[in-house]
Amino acid sequence: MTKMRSNRLKIVFMLCLGFVTIGGQHFESKVAQLLQDETEHIKCFVEGKDLTCFWEEEEERNHLHNQYTFTYSYENKNKMACAVSSLSLLASNKTIFFCKLAKTPFFATLHLQVLRDGQMLYTRSLNAENILFLDPPRNLTVMSSGKEGQLNVSWLPPQLKYMDDSMIYEVRYAAEGSDLGKVEVIKVSTMLVLFGLESDTRYKVWVRVKPDGVAYKGYWSAWTEPVFGVTPPSDVDPLIVLLVLSIGLILCLLSLTVILSHQKFLLKKLWPDIPTPEHKFPGLFTVYKGDFKEWMSHNNGSMWGRSVHVYTEELPSPLEVLSEVSLTSHGTSQREEMKPAEEDESERSDSGLTDRWRDPPHAHWLMDQLRALQENPESHSQSSLLQSHDTYVTLNQGDIEQQADDVFEETLPLQTLFSSAGTPSLSTSHSDLGSLQQSSGSGRLSSQSSLEYPNHTWPPKGPGYSYMAVADSGVSMDYSPMSSSRIAELGRHRIYTNDYKNEIFPHKWPLSGQYIKSG
Amino acid sequence: MFHGSGLFAFLLMVLEWTRPGLSSPLRPICDLRVVDHFIKEAWDAEAALRACKDACSIATNFTVPLTRVDFDVWAAMNIEEQAQEVQSGIHVLNDAISSLQASNQTDVLQSHIDASINNIASIRQVLRSLSIPEYVPPTNVGEDKEMQKVSSISELFQVHINFLRGKVRLLVASAPVCHQGVS
Repeated sequence: MTKMRSNRLKIVFMLCLGFVTIGGQHFESKVAQLLQDETEHIKCFVEGKDLTCFWEEEEERNHLHNQYTFTYSYENKNKMACAVSSLSLLASNKTIFFCKLAKTPFFATLHLQVLRDGQMLYTRSLNAENILFLDPPRNLTVMSSGKEGQLNVSWLPPQLKYMDDSMIYEVRYAAEGSDLGKVEVIKVSTMLVLFGLESDTRYKVWVRVKPDGVAYKGYWSAWTEPVFGVTPPSDVDPLIVLLVLSIGLILCLLSLTVILSHQKFLLKKLWPDIPTPEHKFPGLFTVYKGDFKEWMSHNNGSMWGRSVHVYTEELPSPLEVLSEVSLTSHGTSQREEMKPAEEDESERSDSGLTDRWRDPPHAHWLMDQLRALQENPESHSQSSLLQSHDTYVTLNQGDIEQQADDVFEETLPLQTLFSSAGTPSLSTSHSDLGSLQQSSGSGRLSSQSSLEYPNHTWPPKGPGYSYMAVADSGVSMDYSPMSSSRIAELGRHRIYTNDYKNEIFPHKWPLSGQYIKSG
Repeated sequence: MFHGSGLFAFLLMVLEWTRPGLSSPLRPICDLRVVDHFIKEAWDAEAALRACKDACSIATNFTVPLTRVDFDVWAAMNIEEQAQEVQSGIHVLNDAISSLQASNQTDVLQSHIDASINNIASIRQVLRSLSIPEYVPPTNVGEDKEMQKVSSISELFQVHINFLRGKVRLLVASAPVCHQGVS
């Protein structure tokens, strides 16, 4: 029993000590604040229903509290005394003397006096209802309202009778980690909804209270301890998400439809087929398995054969002149002369045009040259004008001789076009052969030459000059004689020398200088 | 013809007697913002007259009610005692302020005096709506212990504002009519 009693006493004592401590904390904080803010000598505030007045000890003077007398009077009544106590403030290292007046009369003017050793020290007149110093609001709670950017803040007013409807609150809130805060003022109501907050953000909230100044006046209370609240994350409108998805789906379907409908066209554009000249050589690879000789032998009347023969006859490319060979010179001497000339000319091979034109080769001289070619196949192994690589055309030397007459006949009209004086073109053709051979494929040379003038005009070298335009597509070669006038025409237009035609030129190669294309 | 006029006269008498328009009671004005409005106007008057001391001082004294409120004592009083204290104080205050109307005052002061008299009349209507019984103190009674004397107009208006903020507002706030149905 005694143990239980002692325990109960201890509990009660601890509770009392706790309340006193809390009250003392509030009291000391209020005193500290008024020490800073209040300018009057006698600083007073009303806490609940009790009036507390205090004054500061003068510096470097150690007075005792019993030296001071505090008196008050109101409504012309006699003065009444109040017991004076002292308090040392640890925070500011100051000593104050204070008087606590219970059951303070309100709505009446109080006349206060402080005397020290019987002498008037300070006086002040005030109304108790004008100096209310309330405690901070209680039970501050911050909760999410569920809506984006909103927080619900609620609290309880300080416990005071008759004054519940005369209070004004100030709510301060700031994002965690941010120094910038906003303040909302609210009257009477003890709850507030904060709007316009950032989503998914942690906020700190404080609240303080003050009498509204109509019936009661006073000082702002201390801020409550901060309470945290988290705003809900931003809520994406499901309707917007649905609309975006449906639009995306529709666009995908449309693009898929377009792609499928133009599948072939798009494939052709993106992955073009590697051009093959198979269709130009019907049966070459299917029947004769690439044996061009055989194929040629069975295609004597084909346009391509004739054109090839003609080509062999017309080796002298007008794009380059390797050397001048006179009609009367022998083949070997010519060759010897031409070789260095070739080297010289090979450098000029990229000119693409010849400056000197040869006279049309004499018929006999031409035959001699052809025979020379036949006799020395090794040296003229490159006599094949075109080194065939797979789809490249290989010229048959034998055919060249056989059809030499035909070639001569056919070249005669061409020869008439060559109006400039000079060595027979066969020599140049020979040199051209060499140059062509050196380029490992006449295609390269021609392409080289042709590429030199993709956009340039072919300068007409004079009236009567005829040029054989050499165009290379990389697969086949186009050799087409053109008149100067025609060249002038073409020169105005861009010549796409790398184009190739998949269609066999339907008619025979005209020897009158018409533009021939073979692809 | 005589019967027609007689009947008409009889009908008028009956209607005058019943007075059907006045039978409905006033709607209780429990919202303290109404009283706060009067208090704010009283504050304006007090602030204006606080600065006016020398020009506003008069020779005669005013009898004004006591404004002091002890919450414990007030809470211990019943509604009738509170009503009596408030009604007698309003009556005395009204007499004191009305006596100023006769004297020559500045236009600003005169406007505040008129506003205060109107507000007191409005407060009486508010108390009537709350079914607070009216009470007129007897004039032949000597110094009432609940009264005091002031010698300046500024003090008069200080008493005026303190009385309204204190006893009048507390009475309206605690009127039984406003708390019916609330435990």
